[in-house]
Amino acid sequence: MDSKNKVMTLEEAVKEFVHDGDWVALSGFVTNRKPYAAVREIIKQGRKDLYLESGPGGGDVDMLIGAGCVKVLLNSYTANSGFSQVCRRFRKYVEEGKILMEDYSLDVHTLLYHAAALGLPYIAVKNMLGSDLVSKWGIPEEVYANDPKLPSKKLIIERNPFNPDEQLCLVPTPKIDISIVHVQKAAQDGTARIEGPQFGDIDLAMAAKNCIITCEEIVHHDELRREPWQNQIPNIVPDAVVHLPYGAHPAQCANHYDYDGLFLRMYDKVSGDDKLFQEYLDEWVFGIKDHCEYLSKVGTSRLMSLRVQPGYGYVPGLKRR
Amino acid sequence: MAEWTTRQMMVTAIARQIEDHKAYVIGTGLPLIGATFAKKTTAPNAILIFESGMVDGDPQEVPTSVSDLRICYHSSALIPQYRYFGFKSNAYKKDIITTGFLGGAQIDPYGNLNSTAIGDYHLPKTRFTGSGGANGIATYFNTIIMMQHQKRRFCEKVDYVTSPGWVDGNNGRARMGLPADRGPQAVISELGVMRFDKESKRMYLSEYFPGVTPQQIQDNTGFVLDVSRAEQFHLPGLEMLEIMISKVDPQRLMI
Repeated sequence: MDSKNKVMTLEEAVKEFVHDGDWVALSGFVTNRKPYAAVREIIKQGRKDLYLESGPGGGDVDMLIGAGCVKVLLNSYTANSGFSQVCRRFRKYVEEGKILMEDYSLDVHTLLYHAAALGLPYIAVKNMLGSDLVSKWGIPEEVYANDPKLPSKKLIIERNPFNPDEQLCLVPTPKIDISIVHVQKAAQDGTARIEGPQFGDIDLAMAAKNCIITCEEIVHHDELRREPWQNQIPNIVPDAVVHLPYGAHPAQCANHYDYDGLFLRMYDKVSGDDKLFQEYLDEWVFGIKDHCEYLSKVGTSRLMSLRVQPGYGYVPGLKRR
Repeated sequence: MAEWTTRQMMVTAIARQIEDHKAYVIGTGLPLIGATFAKKTTAPNAILIFESGMVDGDPQEVPTSVSDLRICYHSSALIPQYRYFGFKSNAYKKDIITTGFLGGAQIDPYGNLNSTAIGDYHLPKTRFTGSGGANGIATYFNTIIMMQHQKRRFCEKVDYVTSPGWVDGNNGRARMGLPADRGPQAVISELGVMRFDKESKRMYLSEYFPGVTPQQIQDNTGFVLDVSRAEQFHLPGLEMLEIMISKVDPQRLMI
């Protein structure tokens, strides 16, 4: 088979597809299947002025904010739940007005990705009616009006033209430049398979102009094509495939590893302090040559202790505090 | 004699809201413990749904988030997240999913909840995570709300409405375009259980936990609370406490 080989190094993929000022969307859900390796590379390459969103965000979003990569955050939730109930860089930057932030409800966000993946201009929902998600906009009206990256408004309240008794909230879909989705298996042609919960990630992959897939395993395409009904992302969607075992560490990745509870505890501590956070970036991002070196630094015994136990799908009795 | 701790009483109060064969949208923390307790005792066929798209899982260890792989265990299906949205806007028609659980930093007399920010939204004194799935649950379902009972949290007006309750009274939800026939049903705090008046939709004290007085609850509430209907919370037998401890949270992470 003579299909295009999309396999790249992480450095190449980020250099080619993530630019200053891009609208970036990250896969996963708080502490599950977050593209952490790619986040570290984006920070290392010093990307700036990103418009960032993700499935409910965690430390991935928090690190990009703390490293000064983010101009606008559009999100419904940012926490390493169970470890940082509110991510601490996120909290500081919003409290000090250092980034623009727009709040959404998780359902609306999920549906926006779905609509964006289908090429629809907006969604019409009842969510957010009667709440300050409608009446208080995090991004000022004049910014919406003048920033070509953004829609002209956060939302519009309108009557349903088919049923004038019904009020609806019309929310425009985002124009995502680049999505980064961490998966379990991918082939060099871009075919990809998510195992375990998908969250909104198929939509993220398909909504964006470009898509980087990072994966636990590169699998021969014949293997993935033996049971194509198990694949969710067809080869025409991704632009780059990057092989990154443990690429979601310290988050979970189904069939591979559990979250690293002690690492997330450590991150909770360092992300609460400017100096400690800078030292953390120096030690775990800037001071590390590549992903292999990162894994060596985490250590073999630590990584092996996180391997999920078949039958459970997680590590029973994992040390979490 | 073994004593019930406050959290164990709260878990009992949560479990009493769970009916057998009904589905509930559950977050982590005490609601999950309460729902698990109900499943082990009074409502074995209750179904738990999580906004991450995990349906009817049977967690054997306490999960840290609604996306924790611990919730996948024995799930019926893992659905894309947008399907969860569809369940909410459609499935209630079949009257299967009726109730979701919420929590917040502030609540007003009509059950409007703030889980976004304290102070000015644009330059907040304290910023929280934000809505997550809370706003959608408040839009489409009856809700049970978990709160810490302090005067500054039970306040006349919340700084930001993340999840609308009864808005400003009986007609509030309809006026806002929200489904009007559902909304907050109960508030469970460490002092007792509050409910909402059928007519005025204003919060009143329904039950106070043993060792707590109605006056104490009023003193910790930042608005006038009708306590005239309040009764002492009825505790189940100690065999239920034994089940809670041995079968629900043996690692004692939450209770």
